[in-house]
Amino acid sequence: MSGEEGWFDRFVNGLPETRVFQRLASWVLVPYWSWRTPVRPLPGGPHPSIQPGDNLQCMMNLIMPLKEKSPVGRAKAALAIAQNKDAIYAGLDNVGTVHFARFVIVGDNICMFSVYDGDFTNYIRDFIATIGSVFNAVVELVEGGEAVIPCEHNVEAFIQWVHERDLYQVPDTATDLLRDQEALNGDKAASGNDDLRLLPRKVVLQLRANANVSLGSGYRAYPGFSAAQVRNQLGIGW
Amino acid sequence: MSAVFDAADVQGNILRGYRKPRVRYLILEVADRIAARHWLAASTSGRGDDVPQITIGNWGRTKPETCFNIGLTYEGLRALGVPNSSLEMFPNEFIEGMNARALKLGDVGPNAPETWPAPFDAPKRVHLIATIYADEVAQLDEVQQHALTDGKAFGLLGALEGCAFPNDVVHFGYRDNIMQPRFAEVHDGQRYEDGQPKAPLGTVLLGHPTNFEGLTWRVPQPEALGHNGTFNAFRVLEQDVVGFEEYLDRAASDLLTRPQIDELLPPGAEAKIGQALSIEGLSRHAALREVVAAHLCGRWRDGTPMALSPDAPDPKVDQANFDYVGDSRCPFGAHIRRCNPRGGQIVQRVANNSRRLVRRGMPYGPLYDPAKPRDPSKPEPERGLLGNFIGASLGAQFEAMSCDWLNLGLQDPRITGSNDPITGANDPGTSWFDLPLKSGTTIRLRALPRFVRTRGGAYAFLPSIPAIRFLGSLMA
Repeated sequence: MSGEEGWFDRFVNGLPETRVFQRLASWVLVPYWSWRTPVRPLPGGPHPSIQPGDNLQCMMNLIMPLKEKSPVGRAKAALAIAQNKDAIYAGLDNVGTVHFARFVIVGDNICMFSVYDGDFTNYIRDFIATIGSVFNAVVELVEGGEAVIPCEHNVEAFIQWVHERDLYQVPDTATDLLRDQEALNGDKAASGNDDLRLLPRKVVLQLRANANVSLGSGYRAYPGFSAAQVRNQLGIGW
Repeated sequence: MSAVFDAADVQGNILRGYRKPRVRYLILEVADRIAARHWLAASTSGRGDDVPQITIGNWGRTKPETCFNIGLTYEGLRALGVPNSSLEMFPNEFIEGMNARALKLGDVGPNAPETWPAPFDAPKRVHLIATIYADEVAQLDEVQQHALTDGKAFGLLGALEGCAFPNDVVHFGYRDNIMQPRFAEVHDGQRYEDGQPKAPLGTVLLGHPTNFEGLTWRVPQPEALGHNGTFNAFRVLEQDVVGFEEYLDRAASDLLTRPQIDELLPPGAEAKIGQALSIEGLSRHAALREVVAAHLCGRWRDGTPMALSPDAPDPKVDQANFDYVGDSRCPFGAHIRRCNPRGGQIVQRVANNSRRLVRRGMPYGPLYDPAKPRDPSKPEPERGLLGNFIGASLGAQFEAMSCDWLNLGLQDPRITGSNDPITGANDPGTSWFDLPLKSGTTIRLRALPRFVRTRGGAYAFLPSIPAIRFLGSLMA
């Protein structure tokens, strides 16, 4: 008998895959858990590090809900980028620490993804100083954006606002997410139960608090070099 | 913005240095909020019977015999009862405090705030840093006693004392105190033309135009509290003078074995260096020690800038007026070039001149005498610098310089991935520094250890005189 599953075992094991159970979990169980154990959102951006290699080619992932959630709203966002193309290139040139900047519309969000070198606040501040008008044109279309523009006169608040919207980056070693939680809560002791295959409650709740995350901090095909190092090596000036 | 700037509204050590030979820092905790407010009000009353008077920016022809200034941490402002609506307008880095910003400042490993001795092991208790400048220790004692006479307002957590060496020499043997930003709005007879644009007043005071055109920093409200205030990164920086001299020995010996050595120091060139240093029969090894020291700093130890005189120190060369243009032979990674690249090409084109700082520093510990044999059985006395790095934005100036320029070396692709050779968070396993040669090639030095170790510090707000009065008048 042992080792053979009876009909009841099969029924219980199959429960999590049933639609009723899944709805129950996401609509009742998870909200109940999160009410019982509030989980704070983890801060966005790259993990602080002193290693030079960790401070090159950092990722910024902004997902910003548009105020106007319609094809017209999306068209306005597309237009804002198109109208500022030259300024964006000029900004990249003068700031000097950016590898790529991408604007993407996903659903009713305008997303800004970029790869930059060095400190995040320096990067955003230098951009404000160079092409603050572009930030203003985009952020104007975003929910809550009016509070921090014109960015030139709200430098500290604007940088903070962007930082708060920068996605949390799940560490490359995914279980380190639990360490980040512990650090955020001032817990020193590692929990011990790190088996992510069990979909631990802590992870589920964290992904409720941080609904959008970056998985890993960007997978590189080569070690970190600065944008200027690449340009210098290619002989195209920096 | 106020119409006319009046130096009498700001504390006296911000726009000009006092050039007094002795300094003492009192690290204070607010013991009684009401008494502390009375103390602050009395410090600007102009009477001075109860509390030493804060020295103001227009001290005029006769410099006071002793000078007295204060800075407040975020915890200090809270302890005084500054309303939350004002507190939350202060910048994040100031609210979090220096300890929390350790990674940005390279305060890791043996430099980490967890290793700092008292009083900096309890940052929440550090509320007010009072600074006394004087000629004699007796005067320091007198002012200290005067400041703490009521015994109620503040608890003394610790005191740190510094003393200047002759001729502005600091530990590591360099001449310091050569350069400070000049401000367009401020007359200062001490300063002379340095070839750099005059710094806008917003570089150092809140509420004025900054170096970034059109950008302004947030001024904590009410206006009386924030306007004309500024921020100070106070740092206790221990300097390993013996380690530094030993490294110069090792580097000189290493260089003597390199094939390009004659390009760095042509045969016979040691005589020219010896002549400039008034040392007869200077050996090649001894000359190379000076060459290395000059490259690491960007100045020869007598202050001669490498940018103007790369082959030997030269007392005739202007120590202030130079730039890093064309084929300047000042190393890209040299300390003074990293901290302030002046008009030289940098990656962040928009950032030239934007991270400048007012520096007020004084050595502590005894002067190192290389001629005196050391007793290896005795521990070396602690030596270092009590440094103040002042600017209107800690984030845009002190921290920006520290995390991207001093460490990391982002400003020039030829130094990216290396740290400042003198003050950087160096690990001998990975550190390197390039000495440029006339031919355009370089010689790489490796295994630089950490010469400077952070032993404490705090971010402080340096309130204007009206702000001190405002704090003194707080109720509730």
